Amino acid sequence: MVRIVDSELDQEDLPSPLPMSEQEEWSDVVPIPQDDGRHPVCPIAYKDDYREMTDYFRAIMAAGEVSQRAFDLAGRVIDANAAHYTAWVYRKKLLLDLGLDISSELDWVSRISERHIKNYQLWHHRGALLELLLDPKGIADKTQDERMQIPAIRRELQFVGEVIDKDSKNFHAWSHRQFVVRLYGIWDQEMAYVETQINQDVRNNSAWNQRYFVLTANQPADVFVLTDDVADKEIAYVMDKIKLAPNNESPWSYIVGLLMRHAPNMLYERLLPSINALAAADEYALAVSSTPFFWSALVDIYEEQAKALAGAEQQQAEVMAFASEACESLATKYDPIRAKYWEYRKQTLKTASAC
Amino acid sequence: MSHVFSYDFRYDDNECETETSVLQAEVEDSIGDIYLNFVEPGSLAQGGGAIDDSRHKLLRAKHEQFIHDAINGLSSNFAVLDASQPWFSFWCLNSLDMLGCDISQQLRERVVDKLSRLQSPSGGFCGGSGQLPHLAGSYAAVMAIVLVGGDAAYKTIDRQGMYSWLMSMKRPDGAFTMHADGEVDVRGVYCAMVVASLLNIMTPELIKGTAEFIARCQTCEGGIGPYPGVEAHGGYTLCGLAALDILGKTDALRLDRLARWMSARQLAFEGGFNGRTNKLVDGCYSYWMGGAFPILQKALKRSRTEGYIYDRAALQRYLLACCQDRRAGGLRDKPGKSPDLYHTMYCLIGLSLSQHYVGVEPSEQVTDITSVYSVPVRMMQWGAMPASLLVLGLRSNVVKPVHPVYSVPYTPLASFVKYFYALPPLADRLL
Repeated sequence: MVRIVDSELDQEDLPSPLPMSEQEEWSDVVPIPQDDGRHPVCPIAYKDDYREMTDYFRAIMAAGEVSQRAFDLAGRVIDANAAHYTAWVYRKKLLLDLGLDISSELDWVSRISERHIKNYQLWHHRGALLELLLDPKGIADKTQDERMQIPAIRRELQFVGEVIDKDSKNFHAWSHRQFVVRLYGIWDQEMAYVETQINQDVRNNSAWNQRYFVLTANQPADVFVLTDDVADKEIAYVMDKIKLAPNNESPWSYIVGLLMRHAPNMLYERLLPSINALAAADEYALAVSSTPFFWSALVDIYEEQAKALAGAEQQQAEVMAFASEACESLATKYDPIRAKYWEYRKQTLKTASAC
Repeated sequence: MSHVFSYDFRYDDNECETETSVLQAEVEDSIGDIYLNFVEPGSLAQGGGAIDDSRHKLLRAKHEQFIHDAINGLSSNFAVLDASQPWFSFWCLNSLDMLGCDISQQLRERVVDKLSRLQSPSGGFCGGSGQLPHLAGSYAAVMAIVLVGGDAAYKTIDRQGMYSWLMSMKRPDGAFTMHADGEVDVRGVYCAMVVASLLNIMTPELIKGTAEFIARCQTCEGGIGPYPGVEAHGGYTLCGLAALDILGKTDALRLDRLARWMSARQLAFEGGFNGRTNKLVDGCYSYWMGGAFPILQKALKRSRTEGYIYDRAALQRYLLACCQDRRAGGLRDKPGKSPDLYHTMYCLIGLSLSQHYVGVEPSEQVTDITSVYSVPVRMMQWGAMPASLLVLGLRSNVVKPVHPVYSVPYTPLASFVKYFYALPPLADRLL
């Protein structure tokens, strides 16, 4: 009998094996069928091989078997149905109990990942393996450049990068990238990656979100301090990207969100002059003044400015009037699908100014 | 009722093509072709025309048949949902109930029999037999039992076991893991809060730090992501907002930013919602995003007469014209996609919540959240207000009103809550 250690080979390179019930290797196991009752709702017409492998897998788990064959079987169940979270948990337990090689396991996950790229469990398993492979405490005294030379880290970033190359907004891949960056404190290199992604598709909002994540090093709002210098750089960067395609929600959403959370004064002191200049430039005037995102940003900026003008009633009223007009233009002309929302904003402006 | 359909509302790519704008244009092409079929003859001019909204029809019989076919058996392709089995019962029963279809006693018994086999001896429900208990599976199982109704069904839930198991999934940061050694995100928080509030097991220990965890998941864009730092997403936003409503703590969010981001998710040309900035429309966000507006409305303390802050008619138009599979029955993500049970249920909930105004008037909101006794009162305060009904197309398109937080019709929900809040506190809470 051939002993197949690598379940991947088993699946891809060999002719389909005998049913498990006819394999000597499994003759000592009594499979446990799914407990379905007499007349189950929504019964799945499982293929014979899936039904059989899950029946054997139930028996293996019930017995708590710790063995290479149990480990391989869990892998086969996972590859047939990657959402089988129990198989992932059992596989990881066996990986540890059997003292198997973590790095090989990462290779196995990489190999099956193409078929299951939007699966929760796969990414969770990868993250857990990474923590086992390379303890962040062990590299605490290394510089970020030195950390980037560590093969495990390089390999992981390359793997996630390849997934994002194929599926640029893959939610799990971007989350995993954050996990890796945070776990090993490799913030410095990530901004260059973000910019590559934004250059590839300036509308990739996952990349813009990653920009915020890196810029703030994921610190909470009350800890991270946005200096004027950095805010200016971000405004300049965003303006460059808005020029490429003004009707792109991502850069507007990013810069208004960033400043409103960390430096609201910069909204009217620095961002407002920049976007007004853009709206006045011949080359961009038409495109900028016809996108709802420009007007929407104006509403947010003016509202923030009006708050700062408490006490200066006349100036405050003037700014409020600008905001109110912008709401009206949005509701009737530039963004009628959101008419209800812009009416609400206009109404809350009034309340704010009346206070 | 008529609506002006115009190509002017298509996404303007400023003649700068990227992957995002190319995919967006493809979807708009297919949706534009469908909407054109509804344009009144004679009104068609260059760039658009008037849509005759009176023709939209909900294909009730087809959808009912689609669901019954699934109840009788699913193809081998569904093996990928082998670890999500409680969801089948939830999707089917909820869709049938919203459509007002008869749910036979025999079907109810089959559902309870199936789910009771999936309950773990240590508490919680498993995705399939022999699997570990899972928060999403537990949520779906409890919701299905809500829909089955009746004391016999309620009694199958091991309430003490559920509590102990939920506590074992709780983390120091206030969140929950989906299963032992599983992932952590706002979905888990939502599932735990729904289950705990329904079963009357929402203890201070269980909810400690949970509102704060959700608040940390709000991104600078305004929506909520699965985990602090991760991109805002429609599904996680509903989960986070609904969980905070259960906790009575929607104020933990920056609601102005949330409102902006949520309203930006409705697409000008399609009428439906996307789930993230610069992503494509999908029928399921009719609930995840559209359904979050009633909760937002309550959080903002807006009254019925002020109306929701999104376009209800545009959403119904998208659902009725673009999301129904006219041949096979069932509802779907978008034209060109196959219908499935998941989209059928979430499209129907989205339809219901855009037809009915469901809310709590600001003057009637219970503000006392310190007492656990306020939980059932706050849960059942939500009511459909018939004066603000808006039904696009045939009058018969109206489906039952659902609770925006619990996403099921009122009657079965009220019976369930009444039963569990008449039960004594858990044994270990007396210690």
